[in-house]
Amino acid sequence: MIVELGAFALILALVMSVAQSGLSAVAGALRLPMLAGAGRGAAVATFGATGIAFACLIWAFVTSDFSVANVAANSHTDKPLLFKVAGAWGSHEGSMLLWCVVLTGYGAAMALFGSTLPPRLRAYAVAVQGALGVMFLAYTVLASNPMTRLTEVPIEGRSLNPLLQDWALAVHPPFLYAGYVGFSVVYSLAMAALIDGRIDAAWARWVRPWTLAAWSLLTIGITLGAFWAYYELGWGGWWFWDPVENASFMPWLIGAALLHSAIVMEKRGALPGWTAFLALAAFTFSMLGAFLVRSGVLTSVHAFAVDPTRGVLLLIMMGIAAGAGFLLFALRAPALNSGGLFAPVSRESAIVLNNIVLSTATATVLLGTLYPLIREAIDGEAVSVGPPFFNLTFTPLMVLALAILPAGPLLAWKRGDASAVMRRLWVALAAAALLGLVAYAVVTPRKALASAGVALGFWLIGGALAELAERLKFLRAPMAEVWRRATGLPRGAWGTTLAHAGMGVFVLGASFETAWRVEQAQALSLGQSFKLGAYQLTLTDVGAVEGPNYLAERGIVSITDKAGRLVCTAQPERRFYPTGGQTTTEVHICPKGLDDLYIVLGERRAGAGGKPAWLVRGYVNPWVRLIFLGPLLMAIGGAVSLSDRRLRLGVGRKASEARA
Amino acid sequence: MIAFWISAAGLSAAAGALVLRSAARAGATQGVSPDLDAHKRQLGEIDRLAEGGLLDEAEHRAARAEAGRRLLAAADTAETWTRDGAGPRRLAVAVAAVAPLLAVAAYVFIGSPGFSDQPFARRVAEWRATDPAQLDPPRIAAVLETLAAQRPNDAEPLKHLALARSASGDLAGAEQALRRAVRLAPGRADLWTGLGETFVAQANGQVTGDAQVAFREALKIDPTSLSARYHLGRGKIGDGDLAGGLADWRALTADLPAGDPRRGAMNREIAQVEAAGGIPAPEAAPEQSAQVQGMIAGMVDGLAARLASSPDDPDGWVRLVRAYAVLGEVAKRDAAMASATRRYADQPKVLAALRQAAQTPPQQQTAPGGDRQ
Repeated sequence: MIVELGAFALILALVMSVAQSGLSAVAGALRLPMLAGAGRGAAVATFGATGIAFACLIWAFVTSDFSVANVAANSHTDKPLLFKVAGAWGSHEGSMLLWCVVLTGYGAAMALFGSTLPPRLRAYAVAVQGALGVMFLAYTVLASNPMTRLTEVPIEGRSLNPLLQDWALAVHPPFLYAGYVGFSVVYSLAMAALIDGRIDAAWARWVRPWTLAAWSLLTIGITLGAFWAYYELGWGGWWFWDPVENASFMPWLIGAALLHSAIVMEKRGALPGWTAFLALAAFTFSMLGAFLVRSGVLTSVHAFAVDPTRGVLLLIMMGIAAGAGFLLFALRAPALNSGGLFAPVSRESAIVLNNIVLSTATATVLLGTLYPLIREAIDGEAVSVGPPFFNLTFTPLMVLALAILPAGPLLAWKRGDASAVMRRLWVALAAAALLGLVAYAVVTPRKALASAGVALGFWLIGGALAELAERLKFLRAPMAEVWRRATGLPRGAWGTTLAHAGMGVFVLGASFETAWRVEQAQALSLGQSFKLGAYQLTLTDVGAVEGPNYLAERGIVSITDKAGRLVCTAQPERRFYPTGGQTTTEVHICPKGLDDLYIVLGERRAGAGGKPAWLVRGYVNPWVRLIFLGPLLMAIGGAVSLSDRRLRLGVGRKASEARA
Repeated sequence: MIAFWISAAGLSAAAGALVLRSAARAGATQGVSPDLDAHKRQLGEIDRLAEGGLLDEAEHRAARAEAGRRLLAAADTAETWTRDGAGPRRLAVAVAAVAPLLAVAAYVFIGSPGFSDQPFARRVAEWRATDPAQLDPPRIAAVLETLAAQRPNDAEPLKHLALARSASGDLAGAEQALRRAVRLAPGRADLWTGLGETFVAQANGQVTGDAQVAFREALKIDPTSLSARYHLGRGKIGDGDLAGGLADWRALTADLPAGDPRRGAMNREIAQVEAAGGIPAPEAAPEQSAQVQGMIAGMVDGLAARLASSPDDPDGWVRLVRAYAVLGEVAKRDAAMASATRRYADQPKVLAALRQAAQTPPQQQTAPGGDRQ
């Protein structure tokens, strides 16, 4: 009964989303408050029904109800509970339902908390969000229904890919989707404003919190994915420029550009067309990502098992949403006010430059991701675009953007003073250059580019701190005054500092890790050892262990330093999952401050003298923790900005009433 | 089924009620223009920043002037919404009523009305309650898994589980069960030979290093273990020690009782190996039916254990008596019959069922060569 109730709830959600879209559109066009209210009620009902459907699916996974096709294909009774639950979004169908839950959840949030929006904008936005809901729910119900039943109920399920049975990957999709689909709200607001024909500073203020929330969640989602790739795939790397990674990265870049242009729009009323364009583009890239992952047009380690028909349907949906958006944009953009003027040297110009670079960078990533497709369509040749392309195109662009970043927040609005800004930044610049030189001189082998990267990282952190010090009059005013300014500083400013410093932390980690990683692999019999940088690795034992749903060989690798002291006893595993017949490696990571000692146990082979030997791979990943800490800081920065009372949703009226 | 339709109706009603309630509340409150409010708040913030000294005088004046101009522009275009008439109200009510009906109609086409939930635990309980002889190996394995989980310190259910799993083709699962079993009862030779045989089956008949270790363990405990001796001999031949392996096999054959049919089989195999100078062809798969018998025995043991601890289950006793009859275990059948008759002496229906069950003819025992232990 529970499963069928879920199936019914999903269909009810689809019908309610039609009602949401229709009622709200009529209400907006004819200015009818009661129908607008009915549309909002339908939006909440849509979310409630979708949520119930999702809960029923999770129930089916938890109780291992193999009469549900999706459960039979993706679960197994042996699986630990967390992965049974996560199995609900581990497949194409289940994750589409999660997508719908998030999409309708944002719609309901807009309906419930959007009371500060102008009624017409709100009605249109709820209508557009409802239309997106109709599209995605219809696709889920008719083409990817996770509630489909089997008449021949199998005895056991086929289990979830063991690589996906991991805590980071269990929580990665909900964050990622919360980010991806969060841009749907921005899309709906842009569509509503274009239909209404009015984009102003107030509109930008409503767009910003949604963008911030979506972007912060997407940052966490991408970081979790990178972290998972780092410790689960056992290749020592964290980013592979894989199409699916790129698919999540492009909306992130556009989201970052939108965050900044919306500030200009809010403060100065400038760039209305461009901001609306970015708002449409962010969700278009989210949908492109969904299409790339699910259609099977590109091969990737992370892609879902796919089916071309579903791919075509997704492409059509993307075409409708993006086509309608950009068509409306083309019709309405020329009529938009261009807003406030600004000088070539000003904060607005800095942000425009940031936007140009971020958009160009997105275009290079898009080209690199789609090039194999284009090439295959033209001459049938299968090519792959790898890190060398992105290192040569994407990286220099980003370096340019990051080099000017610290100056941006110090420039005044409208008309800035470049030399005054440089006077405030020279300490940060000198410190960064010095630290870069120190890295060049001290760290071996000497690498100029990596040292420049280190300097860039310190420049970003120093620049962010210099800007904060400037705002607080640090060292220039008495401490009491600095404290007063610090407590009076809007949270948004703290968020900016955190996010920009987080970027610097990431650049530091990425430069260090990429340039100075030490890697060594050797087949070892018991008792044998090899040198890894300053460490000595000895394989002391290999034994069999049994997990809940796997058998494993567990190696005991003692790691000693130059003085012969035991630093860490690593226990990497090689797991065999009998249900699917797959083998995975379980990396052991010994954290050493900011560095990681990363140990992988490979397969058993015959060693010298017929004794068994195991391929042991070891990595010293210097400062790798910063790679994951940096984005976390950025996401926290986003959350801090979001908590700024100026952006808080729904409280505005009370605050203004209190003042009046 | 009825519960489903009641829940579905409740869900639909809730959705409709949400639409109507929200419509009613929206109809009641109108007339504020949040649009202007946003601009007013921005003015307030600019002033607050200036008070805190975070904006200098010139910046403050410029920002204030610009925000003020935007406020005036917005005030010019501020919306006025009309009050709703009867039309919108009727439309909202119609939508709230029709939408759930549409959903029900669509569900009847798309969904699977009347299809009940089938959680794994319930299905296993059903299998456990049916006659074990009617279940196929994978289902028996599922039942034995729960039995093994209920008796975590008992190697016996694990042994039967391993048999059921290999009969279902899940050799890796059989290995896993036997590994657990030998850990619980390392002194049982039959578990070690079972583990060894599973390794051999996984390696398509080759006696691998792991298998040899298991068979040697078995031999340490029971030096007469035929399976261990047979496979270790085979392992020697496979490793190239033809003479040594054949000598082991001859000794094994000599130890078999005179009338044992396996003697002939061994002699034939020795001749084949001698002729071919090694192991000729992959070993034939173990007799399926013998394994099924073993699994059924495992389930029957589980049933007997359950009845020993909670005996008030007339159907259970009937199944137990029938199962012993099918397996040809006359002594056990009569013992179970005796306890059940005592217990249900005053229930003629149960007694009749028991008598009928006891008369079930035993199944044919198949190929003796299937059991090498």
